[in-house]
Amino acid sequence: MTLLLPERAPTATPPGARRRRGGDPAIRLLIVVCVLLVAIGAAIPLIAVLATAFAPDALPRYAEFFTSSVDLGILRNTLVLGALVGACGTALGFLFAFVQTRLDVPGKKILHVIAMMPIVSPPFAVATATVVLYGRRGVISNGVFGLQYDIYGLDGLVFVLSMSLFPVAYLGLLGMLRGLDPAVEEAAMNLGASRWRILRTVILPLLAPGLVAPFLLLFVEAIADLANPLVLGGDYTVLASRAYLAVTGEYDLTSASVYCVILLVPSLAMYFGQRWWLNRKVRTTITGRPSGSVHLITGWSRWPIYGLALLVAAVIVSLYSTVIIGSVTKVFGVDNTLTLDYLREVVAGPGVEAVLDTLLFAAIATPIAGVVGLMVAWLVVRHLRRTAWLLDLGGTLGVAVPGTVLGIGFVLAYRPDRYIGDFLVFPSLVGGSALAAGAVSIVLAYVIRSLPAGQRTAVGALTQLHPSIEEASTDLGASALQTFRRVTLPLIRPALLTGLSYSFARSMTSVSTIVLLVTPETKIITSQVMSAASTGRYGVAFAYCTVLTAIVLAGFLVIRFIVGAGAELHRTATSEGQQK
Amino acid sequence: MVSIRSRRLAALSITLMLTASAMSACAKENAGGDNSATDGNVVHVVCGATEDWCAATTEKFSKSTGVKADFVRLSSGEALARIKAGKGSPEFDVWYGGPADGYSAAGGEGLLEPYVSANASVIPATYKDPTGLWTGVYVGALGFCSNKKILAERGVAVPQSWADLLNPKLAKEVGMAHPSTSGTAYTALWTQVQLAGGDQAKALEYMRKLHPNVLQYTKSGAAPAQMAARGEVAVGIIFSHDCVATVEAGFPDLQVSFPAEGTGYETGGVALVKSARNPVSGKKFVDWALTTEAQEIGPTVKAYQFPTNPDAKVSDKVVKLPTIKMVTYDATVAGQAKSALNKRFDAEVAQAPKS
Repeated sequence: MTLLLPERAPTATPPGARRRRGGDPAIRLLIVVCVLLVAIGAAIPLIAVLATAFAPDALPRYAEFFTSSVDLGILRNTLVLGALVGACGTALGFLFAFVQTRLDVPGKKILHVIAMMPIVSPPFAVATATVVLYGRRGVISNGVFGLQYDIYGLDGLVFVLSMSLFPVAYLGLLGMLRGLDPAVEEAAMNLGASRWRILRTVILPLLAPGLVAPFLLLFVEAIADLANPLVLGGDYTVLASRAYLAVTGEYDLTSASVYCVILLVPSLAMYFGQRWWLNRKVRTTITGRPSGSVHLITGWSRWPIYGLALLVAAVIVSLYSTVIIGSVTKVFGVDNTLTLDYLREVVAGPGVEAVLDTLLFAAIATPIAGVVGLMVAWLVVRHLRRTAWLLDLGGTLGVAVPGTVLGIGFVLAYRPDRYIGDFLVFPSLVGGSALAAGAVSIVLAYVIRSLPAGQRTAVGALTQLHPSIEEASTDLGASALQTFRRVTLPLIRPALLTGLSYSFARSMTSVSTIVLLVTPETKIITSQVMSAASTGRYGVAFAYCTVLTAIVLAGFLVIRFIVGAGAELHRTATSEGQQK
Repeated sequence: MVSIRSRRLAALSITLMLTASAMSACAKENAGGDNSATDGNVVHVVCGATEDWCAATTEKFSKSTGVKADFVRLSSGEALARIKAGKGSPEFDVWYGGPADGYSAAGGEGLLEPYVSANASVIPATYKDPTGLWTGVYVGALGFCSNKKILAERGVAVPQSWADLLNPKLAKEVGMAHPSTSGTAYTALWTQVQLAGGDQAKALEYMRKLHPNVLQYTKSGAAPAQMAARGEVAVGIIFSHDCVATVEAGFPDLQVSFPAEGTGYETGGVALVKSARNPVSGKKFVDWALTTEAQEIGPTVKAYQFPTNPDAKVSDKVVKLPTIKMVTYDATVAGQAKSALNKRFDAEVAQAPKS
């Protein structure tokens, strides 16, 4: 059964029940842990940056910014990029999720794997491969089609960012499409609606909140992205790259903070817009085990859709093949002689230290990020009322705040040892002389940067889950945590899987925060990639990317093995013919 | 309702307390005294040379002296930012490689510890700071790195002067880094200032004329060599040794040329970071970096800069500096002007529309 319910009326829960839940010490402990982590990892660094941005000497910069046509142009560029990437990425994600769940076509498993590939994409890999393949002298654009396409600028950025970010939308929408009760579609079909009409009037409206969430995520990630504008931006300047330049080039923390504050405004606006949208109407679609069967599309109309997905998949494959081929050829596209020098440097040479460090840190950060993300989501959706937005916002800071800013915030807040009198309150976390040679801050940055992914998917999944299921459990005497473990968790297991996988991938591939935190003793793969790519050692960069990708894929398997593939919520009718 | 409010208060107060304690607790900084007693027989290097060179140098240093060494590679501007961020409790002991302009700028902000190495006496005076703020370890001339194939397609000859780069046929075909991050690009900018007789406005005017021809201001100074090699641009404005290294890496189409008006050059420096944690080892590193042993490492890892130590062997691949017309380049003056000039470049050139 699918119900279309108004927002949970507060009066629906007897006050007594809520007080009992709130009084649960385990929940209190959880809240404290989550708040502490978010405060140390995101809030304090952000406050450090804000304090700089609103210091008296920074104030005239705002007037400068809003009267300068150049600065306003940068702001406009940023917003246009975010909107385009959000739209294209969400569309791509929906395309793949739709093919996956609703089309009767061969090769869906392979398509799924291909669609997942960009999630492991190390920064610089896609952009660099795009230049090699589709750039002005690209192996494909110029070599095969004889084009001189100028990929530098907005078009190139939208292409690269949509290609690298759309898996977020894909995974989220996949879970939701699978969670949609087929009975609704079945009903529409029985009433004589065409497939197109069902998509338009049933599936899309039901998914609408789910479409807003990935759009938001892609928007903020796109405007915060640093690696791609550095490689492909051309003369298209965006706020994130401008702020980065102010920090790394001029060490002008004031200007950088001002740019970041201005960058934060659209991010937060999107965030609150989305909350308002979600709260207008809650469409609950999982009310237990969905009934009915999914009817896969078998008509001719599946082929153009499938063809489009295949084309995109081919482009993705071409990009990643370039990364792999580039790592074993001297100079791909110019000198295609095979060589193992680059890979040897990474796995048996100086790179091995970076590989081991990165793996260790990511392995520590992933479970923390995945579990905390889920916990925050659960607290936000189910247990907190008025403070929910605060914790939710805190948890989302890792993605809403551009990585470079977070990195600078870490440096500002945690580089010095903090004393009260002679008593060491808080040891230095950043820099070569810090606790564990800076490893603590790197792991913390990993957790904070990858926490929002799990949190967002879990919030999405939990919003679809009607509270009456959990209420039934608590009414039968189970404690809140028991309910969570026994009832909620199994139902949102796909979201946990997504969250963990994505956390791991994000940790392994995060660069913008990390480059400011690496120390001589803690080398990180992505900063090595950045170093290699920006000094033109593409072979080595590609080799690092290949190794990194292999590790992340292996990590996915391990996570899948530990968490399980997730509950199958409904039967799938293999074809309509069989049913008749 | 009571519990909700108290929970919220608890959450808020925890956040506030944490923030307050973190913000108000005094940051205890290193007093900047002598750390020689605590020297850990290790040296942390922030390295501005190529990754290969940094690795080879630190390895050889450890072998020769028995002092452990590790490094982080950062471009000139980034290295300066990191050292600045760590002021008072530095994570690095030594800065090695990258144009001396950056060292001079850092010295001006009190980030470096003057140290006149005994080995510095052999280094020519033009390649070191008289107060020992930094000492030169290599010299490299700025040049053009052209892709002959692309130039032929465009019907343009290999550029032989700064004026040649303004050819409208080279629209979006020139690669150059951003002077804020890259020491290379700042050297190019300062060269224009020198060519204009010290007139910064005139130098920026040239850059504005060049602007429509520049595809993208990259982060790293060596990146345009790679772009030229792949044919993304026809010409890169970079240090000639980076171009030679790229040819070596498998791009035979590239050709180095030097502007007839005169070109600038970098003096790659080495310097001790102020209040370094391992000052004794740091000094050992500076001493060693000036020896012939250290300066002959470059060519083994495709770094073809000119050594500052006159006794060091010079590889045939190294560009012979005396054959090129050079502008007078005072790294100290260039370093002092750096921050302000870069800001002007960013506002007046880099962000300008390309018309």
